[in-house]
Amino acid sequence: MSHAKPLPHDAAALHVTGAARYVDDIPTPAGTLHIAFGLSEVAHGTLDALDLAQVHAAPGVIAVLTAADLPHANDVSPSAHDEPLLATDRVHYIGQPLFAVVATSHLAARRAARLGRAEITKAPAILTIDEALAAGSRFEEGPRIYTKGDAEAALAAAPRRLQGSMEIGGQEHFYLEGQAALALPCDNGDMIVHSSTQHPTEIQHKVAEALGTPMHSVRVEVRRMGGGFGGKESQGNALAVICAIAAQQTGKPCKMRYDRDDDMVITGKRHDFRIDYDVGFDDEGRICAVDFTQYARCGWAQDLSLPVADRAMLHADNAYAMPHVRITSHRLKTNTQSATAFRGFGGPQGMVGIERVMDHIAHSLSLDGAELRRRNYYPEMDSGTPPETTPYGQPVTDFVLRGLTQTLLDSADYDARRRKLAEWNAANPVIKRGLAFSPVKFGISFTLTHLNQAGALVHIYQDGSVHLNHGGTEMGQGLFQKCAQVAASRLGLPLEAIKITATDTAKVPNTSATAASSGTDLNGMAVAAACDTLRGRMAEHLADTHGGAATDITFAEGKVTIGDKVLTFAEAAQSAYGARISLSATGFYKTPDIAWDRIKGEGQPFFYFAYGAAVTEVAVDTLTGEYRILRADLLHDAGASLNPALDIGQVEGGYIQGAGWLTTEELVWNDEGRLTTHAPSTYKIPACSDRPEVFNVALWKGANPAQTIYRSKAVGEPPLMLGISALLALSDAVAACGSGYPALNAPATPEQVLSAITEVQGT
Amino acid sequence: MHNFDFVKPGSVAEAAEALKAEDAMALGGGQTLIPTMKARLNAPSALVSLSGMAEMVGVSGSDPVVIGGATTHGQVAAEAGYPALAALAGQIGDPAVRSRGTIGGSLANNDPAACYPAAALASGAVIKTDRREIVADDFFVGMFETALEEGEIITSVSFPVPAKANYQKFLQPASRFALVGVFVAQFDSGVRVAVTGASEEGVHRWSAAEEALSANFSAEALEGLSVASDGLMSDLHGSAEYRAHLVKVMTGRAVRAAG
Amino acid sequence: MSKKTHITLKVNGKSEEFLAEPRELLIYTLRERLNITGPHIGCETSHCGACTVTVDGKSVKSCTMFAVQAEGAEITTIEGIGTPDSLHPLQEAFKEHHGLQCGYCTPGMITRAAKLLEENPAPSEEEIRFGMAGNICRCTGYQNIVKSIQAAAAEMNSSQSSSSEAVGHKTTEAAE
Repeated sequence: MSHAKPLPHDAAALHVTGAARYVDDIPTPAGTLHIAFGLSEVAHGTLDALDLAQVHAAPGVIAVLTAADLPHANDVSPSAHDEPLLATDRVHYIGQPLFAVVATSHLAARRAARLGRAEITKAPAILTIDEALAAGSRFEEGPRIYTKGDAEAALAAAPRRLQGSMEIGGQEHFYLEGQAALALPCDNGDMIVHSSTQHPTEIQHKVAEALGTPMHSVRVEVRRMGGGFGGKESQGNALAVICAIAAQQTGKPCKMRYDRDDDMVITGKRHDFRIDYDVGFDDEGRICAVDFTQYARCGWAQDLSLPVADRAMLHADNAYAMPHVRITSHRLKTNTQSATAFRGFGGPQGMVGIERVMDHIAHSLSLDGAELRRRNYYPEMDSGTPPETTPYGQPVTDFVLRGLTQTLLDSADYDARRRKLAEWNAANPVIKRGLAFSPVKFGISFTLTHLNQAGALVHIYQDGSVHLNHGGTEMGQGLFQKCAQVAASRLGLPLEAIKITATDTAKVPNTSATAASSGTDLNGMAVAAACDTLRGRMAEHLADTHGGAATDITFAEGKVTIGDKVLTFAEAAQSAYGARISLSATGFYKTPDIAWDRIKGEGQPFFYFAYGAAVTEVAVDTLTGEYRILRADLLHDAGASLNPALDIGQVEGGYIQGAGWLTTEELVWNDEGRLTTHAPSTYKIPACSDRPEVFNVALWKGANPAQTIYRSKAVGEPPLMLGISALLALSDAVAACGSGYPALNAPATPEQVLSAITEVQGT
Repeated sequence: MHNFDFVKPGSVAEAAEALKAEDAMALGGGQTLIPTMKARLNAPSALVSLSGMAEMVGVSGSDPVVIGGATTHGQVAAEAGYPALAALAGQIGDPAVRSRGTIGGSLANNDPAACYPAAALASGAVIKTDRREIVADDFFVGMFETALEEGEIITSVSFPVPAKANYQKFLQPASRFALVGVFVAQFDSGVRVAVTGASEEGVHRWSAAEEALSANFSAEALEGLSVASDGLMSDLHGSAEYRAHLVKVMTGRAVRAAG
Repeated sequence: MSKKTHITLKVNGKSEEFLAEPRELLIYTLRERLNITGPHIGCETSHCGACTVTVDGKSVKSCTMFAVQAEGAEITTIEGIGTPDSLHPLQEAFKEHHGLQCGYCTPGMITRAAKLLEENPAPSEEEIRFGMAGNICRCTGYQNIVKSIQAAAAEMNSSQSSSSEAVGHKTTEAAE
């Protein structure tokens, strides 16, 4: 059986030789044109005029397009139709595309785009959370509020109470491959689009609208992305749509890729949040009630902000059973990039909120953080207690964190290290160490219920080789390999017999984005369904031919066994073909048992939860605020892993990306609303030298009680939140410098850490 | 990027001649100039490549250590018989940047966060050009400004070797430039301390620290000193106050590390 | 208008001659002129390392070098290090030790690592961190990249007598 094996990434041999093609590597037909956007230099205002004479006159320019030149829909929004491809009468942020240059080369298009002049009458720009609140600038009519119990009364009655507020910065995706698209015009007005996107169907949909054609006229193909992380769920629309429009108008293939600078300035990032909290608890640290107010800075267009902010609310409990909860969520509209999906999709921000509360309580009671968290955990079902429900009313029936935590604390030698650390800190005035534990409970399913569906298409050829296709996209996470492993297991074939093929809207229609960690859960099941159909047809045919029951026929190791007769899979396929049996099948899957009312905040939004926990140790130089992660121990629940090597890769990469978000990755906008961290020289993502000196990563051994593909669990997003332990370890180290509570904001840059040290030393 | 003529002279004399052309610029390894040309901050009519001229490449001598103007950071790191200078060169950028970037290019550009200016100023280096010799104290004029005249070429840099020296760099981790860097050099004649990354005026000496360290070469000698944040850079990577704080801490570290 | 310059390069052992504007960056020469698309464009500001190639024995970010500066040089890209049928030990190690996810940084990463192992055949973990500082990966968290480099170093060192010939041969070919 192929599944559960730690096989390399499906295209590893191509990647290591430079032979794997990304959109920009696809050989283009002669005459291909290239596109660049001219961007707004003003954060908010009225677009009075565009002077594009110099752009038209620049070398290599074939056409210049403005909103007026767009023949049909001028909209690249994935949600509320509030995101024009090219600005019309108003501009909403610095970096908004105003016009598009079509030229004979990428560089010619870029050079020409700089020559455009926009006359914009400036209007006051709303940039910050406070400005948006003051102006009432928001999405939805008012805040969303989810409640459980009576938080107000329980807070008033609680033996102890703490309040606080925390700023949580956003995050640039920094997928190494920037956004890119290539449109190839076909006869009869049809269009083929290659796009670096997590959501081919959305690209198809937006391109069809923009061309004024039915979706059947547009085919979108995605072989792979050079990283996505949520940043290619909706942000690729603009490039694909302008390429298709330009291709339609010029009759030539058109290609576009953002330079890194443009990519950072134009596209959305992780939402930054402010979270206020008011928590009541008893002397043992058990939470009686918590009241959160979450402020999400959503940027200028709605994009995916509503479900992102919802998911932040849905993770405000993380792993803790709390009787009385109120969560208020403000979705604020600002004149900045439209914040978008980013690994965790709001969940990480919500989780940072409650982990901050835990950290604050532990500090106030001088209680070990791991112990405090365990006191507040949801119960596990084998303990005989009835399940507790989340603040949104879903019973938590699959909780594994009690056992998982104990295993991790043992393997990480937590208690002994906690003692040694206290000794170290007592003896060392300059370098202080911090140690922190944090758990993750992350809900798996799209909260927009209808997205929880997937399709697959499998062909068996007469030589026994298999063509595999499904609706998920490959961005490095290993989905293609996992799905091929499923197909190989289902058909009893070696992996080499399965051809993995590019995601293609003409093969599998109406796909959901590869997002919400659900790629394997959904597409793996659809692949299994298609393979089972084919195997069933072959078995019936072979039973008819050779006698016996179809259900007794086995498919394993490339052989088909019918009683004492053994055929190669190829012979079986040839036989079925000769008997005119269809050897092509689709598979379909929809997640069962989920229902969710996002307005009331009630229901069962998640099919199951994925769990994990981390222990991080840091050293902080109290003279400068510099720090280093000395050791990280991670234990993560991937269910019965389909591919432990790929899953461990997700866990390691997720942790580093999460720790980067909360420590070094700082986004800065200036007073005009210009993003000043728009290049890798100013925005610091983790480098090789930032990885923990000791890094122990393991998978929790346990099958998913929910009926997922081979009882595995989704693993894309949850491990990112293991990185929260790095921020908490910094808090622990700073706390060792004095008696005050550090109250670190994120990202906790060295300057922030130093300033927190100075503060706790003064208290 | 605007187009330009590319000139590859065979000698310093030829290079000097080529640089007389209007808007011609000297090109070292290009690790700073090429990015600024991409950003259209520079648009030379001609680039005169200084790399590959044998007379401008190499490390020689033990005191002073003389480094050809077109010598890469990588070569200085590997060959300079001045440990603190070699260590500094080995911390610039990353290996690929060190394969291309040159000492002459770095000094001529005088980026306020570059490392080499601190070494040159603290060591009391002499910058030799195709026209004259300039002592480091006269060479660094201000942020991105030097005493170099139009078309003047740094042919070599001569570093007196101190008895003790060390460079401490607080990394601006994204760019790998110095948020603050301090080079401390102890000579028989006294101690010189040069600070980069901090001031709006570019690299400068910290005279109070020099006095204190000349009297007592120990980190404790710095205890009573403080650095004013006036005139220091304040940007998204660090406030002026943070930089002021770091100047003192890095100086102390450099003194300790120098032994 | 500036004239085009005649440029001669040897890329992965093959001589290339062409006329180019002096402003043509080496990464564009490789990708667009010579259709060598292993080196990728990641940031075009010399920070990410996706475009790393070897020029006359040194690691270089090909986005920050003009093709004209490489006149007469010998250049090795990922394509010159090994092929799917004949992988370099580093390529084998990155594949087997999961030193990649999305793969976009991988060609630059391996090209740099190959040079690192030439300069230092048995690097410590610290030396790998330092030596790979100019190559960014957003997916893996670097753990498996470091493992891959260590595994390749061990492999290359353990089979030194037999494999040094093979590797040496490959290097000679590329350097001819």
